[in-house]
Amino acid sequence: MKFSIYRYNPETGEKPYMQEYVLRDIDPGMMLLEALMRLKQDDETLSFRRSCREGVCGSDAMNVNGRNMLACITPLASLREPVVIRPLPGRPVIRDLVVDMSDFYRQYRAVKPYLIVNDPEPEVERLQTPEERERLDGLYECILCACCSTACPSFWWNPDRFLGPAALLQAWRFLADSRDQATDERLQALEGPYRMFRCHTIMNCVDVCPKGLNPTRAIGRIKHLMLKRSF
Amino acid sequence: MSRPAHGLYSWIVQRLSAIYLAVFILYVLEQWIFARATTYEQWKAWLASPVNNIGMGVFIVTLLLHAWIGARDILMDYVHNLGLRLTLFALLILVLLLSGVWALRSLVLVL
Ligand code: SF4
Ligand code: SF4
Ligand code: FES
Repeated sequence: MKFSIYRYNPETGEKPYMQEYVLRDIDPGMMLLEALMRLKQDDETLSFRRSCREGVCGSDAMNVNGRNMLACITPLASLREPVVIRPLPGRPVIRDLVVDMSDFYRQYRAVKPYLIVNDPEPEVERLQTPEERERLDGLYECILCACCSTACPSFWWNPDRFLGPAALLQAWRFLADSRDQATDERLQALEGPYRMFRCHTIMNCVDVCPKGLNPTRAIGRIKHLMLKRSF
Repeated sequence: MSRPAHGLYSWIVQRLSAIYLAVFILYVLEQWIFARATTYEQWKAWLASPVNNIGMGVFIVTLLLHAWIGARDILMDYVHNLGLRLTLFALLILVLLLSGVWALRSLVLVL
């Protein structure tokens, strides 16, 4: 199987280039990540991130044939040849397929992705009804792989000021939580033309999320809540 | 740049203005298709009737607001050099205001 992989090593001062690889030993049902690891056995300079190899850790997001995906859960059989692999779009490349995720994580931290509770600590757990718990479905499953944010044009143009779909999904995850008590502060922090309102509902994020989540819907919910609260 | 209430406010204005623009365009199209007015004189009379005159006035103002928010969004996305962006903002406002004055003037003149 033929691969064309983006190579860049800032230490050599060479310009980025696409390198062709051919992999002969391919097993049925093999995933893309396995192919990359076999290629790396022959060329150990090839760099990429990976950890869990089962779509849980979010490390191995990359742009494959023009689409962001997790290599570990992408069957080779689903890919057109030559398989063109590039780093996630719009992020500074550290080396080959490894990108700098600082902006992405900074935006994630900016939404305070934890429960904020002002009441004194209760004697027992903070309980939720099954319905309240259900509101978090489709939100908490995010693995922060950044497939969505790096596919979002608004995030490409303003990664320092626009939170991006992943962080906004988490913003809604905590706004939607019955135990959280910082609704007003959270909404206030999302105001302004940049932090949330750079989203133009392009929906690339929904299209690429490997976990099938829907950041656009979450963003819509935040806007509705904001609207309700401002009257 | 992040004035409070700024993002939500523009977003809602953009949506409400879009609704009015769409509805008014349909209304004008309907008038046109059923040809209540075919000649220049008839169109003038149509525009001079208070409902149409005010409706068109609101349409023009709404269109300008809508255009301002849309164009501003595009500049905020693509133009990051502050000086250039402010210049373009100023130019944009000038063009929009002048066309607004020009359009509203003909509305008054037709009366
Ligand atoms: S929303 Fe989906 S694509 Fe975005 S970071 Fe989370 S899991 Fe990845
Ligand atoms: S819907 Fe919004 S967040 Fe998602 S890709 Fe489009 S602009 Fe980005
Ligand atoms: S290696 Fe963990 S998500 Fe792919």
